[in-house]
Amino acid sequence: MIQTGGEYDFSCWEGSDEPRAELEVTVNGKRIQTAVPVRLLLSDFLRDHLGLTALKVSCGEGACGTCTVIIDGEAARSCTLLAVQTDGSEIVTLEGLNHGADSNNLRRLFQEHHALQCGYCTPGWLISAHCMIERRIDPHSDEAGGYLSGHLCRCTGYKNICSAIHEALLLANTAAAGEKE
Amino acid sequence: MKEETLESAAPQKKRRYIGEAVRRAEDIQLLDGRGGFLADLATPDTAEVCIVRSTHAHAIVHAIRKERALASPGVIAVLTANDLDFVDDKLPCVDMIPGTLDVRHRIIARDRVRYAGQAVALVVAANRYLAEDAAALVEIDYEVLPAVLDHKAAIEPGASLLYPELGTNVVYQVRQRDGNPDFVPEQGDIVLRKRFEFHRQTAVPLESRGVIAKVIDNGERLHVGSCTQLPQVLRATIVNALGLDPRQVRVTAPRLGGGFGCKEMVYPEELLLPVVARKLNRPVRWLEDRRESFAATTHAREETIDAELVVTKDGEATGLRLRGCCSIGAAFGFVGNTPITAMGAMVRGPYAIPNLDSDLCSVVTNKTPLNVLRGAGAPQATIVIERLLDEAARILKIDRAEIRRRNLIQPDELPLDRGATEFAGAYHVIYDEADYPRCLEEALCVANYKTFESERRVALESGKLLGLGITMYVEITAVGPYETSRVALRTDGSVLLYSSILPVGQGSETTQRQCIAEELGIEIDQVSVRQGDTDEVPDGIGTFASRGAAAGGAAGRTAARALVQQILEAFAAEFSCDPAALRWEGGGIIVPDSSEFIALAEVPGKLAQLRGTSDLVAFEAKSRIEIPKPSFSYATHIAIVEIDPETGRISIPRYVVTHDCGRIINPMLVDGQIVGGAVQGIGEVLRENLVYSPDGNLQTCAMMDYVLPGVSDAPREFIITHMETPTGFNPFGVRGVGEGGTIGAFGAMACAVADALRDYEIGVEGSGPFTPSWVLEVLNRPQTNATATNGS
Repeated sequence: MIQTGGEYDFSCWEGSDEPRAELEVTVNGKRIQTAVPVRLLLSDFLRDHLGLTALKVSCGEGACGTCTVIIDGEAARSCTLLAVQTDGSEIVTLEGLNHGADSNNLRRLFQEHHALQCGYCTPGWLISAHCMIERRIDPHSDEAGGYLSGHLCRCTGYKNICSAIHEALLLANTAAAGEKE
Repeated sequence: MKEETLESAAPQKKRRYIGEAVRRAEDIQLLDGRGGFLADLATPDTAEVCIVRSTHAHAIVHAIRKERALASPGVIAVLTANDLDFVDDKLPCVDMIPGTLDVRHRIIARDRVRYAGQAVALVVAANRYLAEDAAALVEIDYEVLPAVLDHKAAIEPGASLLYPELGTNVVYQVRQRDGNPDFVPEQGDIVLRKRFEFHRQTAVPLESRGVIAKVIDNGERLHVGSCTQLPQVLRATIVNALGLDPRQVRVTAPRLGGGFGCKEMVYPEELLLPVVARKLNRPVRWLEDRRESFAATTHAREETIDAELVVTKDGEATGLRLRGCCSIGAAFGFVGNTPITAMGAMVRGPYAIPNLDSDLCSVVTNKTPLNVLRGAGAPQATIVIERLLDEAARILKIDRAEIRRRNLIQPDELPLDRGATEFAGAYHVIYDEADYPRCLEEALCVANYKTFESERRVALESGKLLGLGITMYVEITAVGPYETSRVALRTDGSVLLYSSILPVGQGSETTQRQCIAEELGIEIDQVSVRQGDTDEVPDGIGTFASRGAAAGGAAGRTAARALVQQILEAFAAEFSCDPAALRWEGGGIIVPDSSEFIALAEVPGKLAQLRGTSDLVAFEAKSRIEIPKPSFSYATHIAIVEIDPETGRISIPRYVVTHDCGRIINPMLVDGQIVGGAVQGIGEVLRENLVYSPDGNLQTCAMMDYVLPGVSDAPREFIITHMETPTGFNPFGVRGVGEGGTIGAFGAMACAVADALRDYEIGVEGSGPFTPSWVLEVLNRPQTNATATNGS
């Protein structure tokens, strides 16, 4: 079940002698300390118990990229990690991305390029694109290809997603170059 | 000179939204991660359901023991067919055309399972983890029966029967004819015969299915949320199955994370969850995981077609004969027979081919039920006709573009009755206005067809094999039988559209707002849309068959016109004048003999003022438009593929589409549909493939096994040009656009791959998939002297 208030609550595990482990993580800047069932997936912890539903679960095996979040500064799949594996980590979901210039540009460009249709895969792309921008990745590099090939989209045929992200990277890289001068 | 000088009271700015690349307002929420998909909805105190599914393709169920599961932690209930009462346990099939044997899908298996993945029992528990634990403890005694997996073997005498009481596995046969169906070749004609095999595929929307059911209004009503393209049909089915009054059921369909046809179905879970919610009197939720989605969500495409094409020595195709069968799986999907009726009805596309003799059948097999998938049966049809034309061109030494030119229906021959009836149960196929020759020439020009052979020679020098494929299709869109809409002017001056067209990603919120804003002459920001709630829109057809923009848009605009008429009549009553004396222009009323202009937003207040009351006046208008004839979109797709003989990989340097969907509402969204549809089709022929084990269990039930097209599979250059021929079959000239990309990609890709491998024997024709290993296998065969092969 998805909690309403965004507060974590494990009442749906009551009555089972499920093994639990202590977990201490920072999610979107908020420190969380709780005991979670050991087998609880990170994606379920974030969505069902913290109410952070921007990330989506689709393939459940790390193939599609819809569940991507940022763990300790790098894009990572939340559906193939147990919550307890992230003990001590800092996690950022789409809800926690600051609405700074880069982030706003990215959203604007996705809309202008019609880079989303059903929008189910979109949060995952935005997370990876955000990481690419943070790292000032050259849009034509193999590394950029690596990020892009980690996501599936069933609607758009990719053309518009790639052009939106390329433009966002060029904008960010140009702005960064301008700051240096 | 301004035309409107006399109406200086009206705002000068002309509102125009139809034809504009209006950005999607729905993107804002989606980009913030607040899409509001079913699985995102808050569901406090909701128990989770896990479905126990058959592990056998064909078996008799002797006993189900649930004691161990019931004792598992957190379990609330374990239920089987014996615990669940349905007044009617058959799921609807919309194309059970007369003569069809009734193999409708049952909600839950009672004593026999007919495919692996069929629902046998369900577990309700405090959360999904605990429900899955318990599901594994449900013990079922099966008596395994021989599984019928190959549809060609299923129709042979002595084949094991899925429904012994029917005495056959053939549940429907359709004969579609045009011209002289008994045609024989004349002196000098060539006859091409090919068998085409189409492999089993599935839609794989990134959002799998889900259902939430709860009892509301003090136990009086049921609220069912479901990822469905058909909320109104689902509501009617629940009412029937549970024996309720229609007023007792509310179905809501939230925004869908893709549909592509597989959510155009009423599924067992959509009936199981409501009955469980009532039985337990608590909210329940079921979310399909990816593994069960592959086995329990409908499949598509699998069929075998034997085709025979008669062509004169001048390249004129005179007769097409089809025989074949479609593996519809263990029971009907919502759309069970359309794959074969679409094949017979649409296979000739824009080519005249006066004589048609098509005799196809639907065959039950021990596999997941078949349903439509983007393009229904039309993608397969493009491969049949285009590969035959390529082969005729090769044998007759006629250029591939030229043989198509010689067979195209000319604009002055349209509208044209294509004879083949029985399509989707009702439609006579009558092509509307079109210019097929221009559509071909424009695409050939953009694709640099004339210089392709030299491009191929250059690529050969670096070891790459280039191939070019041309495909033209005519696509049935905007099917009826009707559509409804309701437009309201609220007291705050805003306009609200209630629509039965759902947001599945195609941008229907935006296109429908464009239509209403255009019709009323107001700013698009003044219009909002509500979709997918049967309390608000109890009647409507729904979202499928490329009908949203054309059918839904027309219904919305018609309702908007009725709204204007109501408003004018209300003011005419106050002014004591004929309503015809008032004019609606520039988003408001122009009052004659005065300089007064009443904008739409001012209507509620102005009318109250005129009536001398403080009660603001709201309006609401409904429409129901009949759609007796579908309209047809058409296009030319040209794919240029490149094969790397080292790896067997096929990539696409260039892909060209010339497209005509009539009046374009939003070119940005149309292009988005074409590119996305084409890449889906490209993936289906290059990668996607559902594979069953010999005993009938699905082996490809994860995205790691069933590989979807990724960034690197998309064409490196994708060029679209548009023609915009309004259709007379739609009041606003609009044809549909959702499926065409996929339809054209099948033929274009199959022809391009065959062309790249022109010096090799490619073996069985069809949809492939043309995987690297298949390519390497073909390249390892001895080279043929292609021109010496005789196709007759």
